[in-house]
Amino acid sequence: MNSNRSSADQGLRLIIVALVAWVIPGAGHFLIKERKRAVIIFVTLTALFLSGLYIGSISVVNHVNSRLWFLPQILYSPAVGLLSQKVQAGFTDDNGNHMEYNCYGRPCDIGQIYTGVAGLLNLLCILSAVYMAYCGRGQLIGREEEQEEQGHA
Amino acid sequence: MHDFSPILAAFTAPLNVQTDWVSMLYMFPLLAAITIIYKATKMRVLFWKQLAVESVVLFLAVSGFMIGAVIVLNLITWLITS
Repeated sequence: MNSNRSSADQGLRLIIVALVAWVIPGAGHFLIKERKRAVIIFVTLTALFLSGLYIGSISVVNHVNSRLWFLPQILYSPAVGLLSQKVQAGFTDDNGNHMEYNCYGRPCDIGQIYTGVAGLLNLLCILSAVYMAYCGRGQLIGREEEQEEQGHA
Repeated sequence: MHDFSPILAAFTAPLNVQTDWVSMLYMFPLLAAITIIYKATKMRVLFWKQLAVESVVLFLAVSGFMIGAVIVLNLITWLITS
């Protein structure tokens, strides 16, 4: 009975780690007390994703016009879906005309590759966080080595 | 109250990127991000210095391989078309 309950708790924990890691890149590792990894993942992936948006503009995220690129992009965070809705809705210019966000050519390609790769790398980080949580890894592993390293320094 | 409009506006228009060899340089930040994330997930115990060294080594190795591939492919193209 207890083992059934503990395995259910473990499964629920893994699902929570995966969801948190998807919502905020690096948060899955933060949850299992891998703080350094969490910071590196968050900073690197966010910088990569924002660089993609800066190069190609936010129009590189579009779930209607570039659906195949949207699939890896949404792996970065569910917030990408909201951004795509905003892009699809367009904007109104100073004269009151309805305009669409557009991007063509090389900047669009580079922006889509950057944001798509950021999403795929976050998938790798989600799987890494879930695997570490499954193995019971956290700050405890490697503590001796860290203390030894600090002793040398 | 800060005005973030110029920052937000920068994300609504694409950069001007030409289709020349300079645009190939955009692969290096991407490569750097891939190597850092790969090493951050792969290393058993994370030390900042070790992570930096291993990431730089992997980055240089992959960059060197890609540059070598570009040179070889260009040579083959030049031999075929000349």
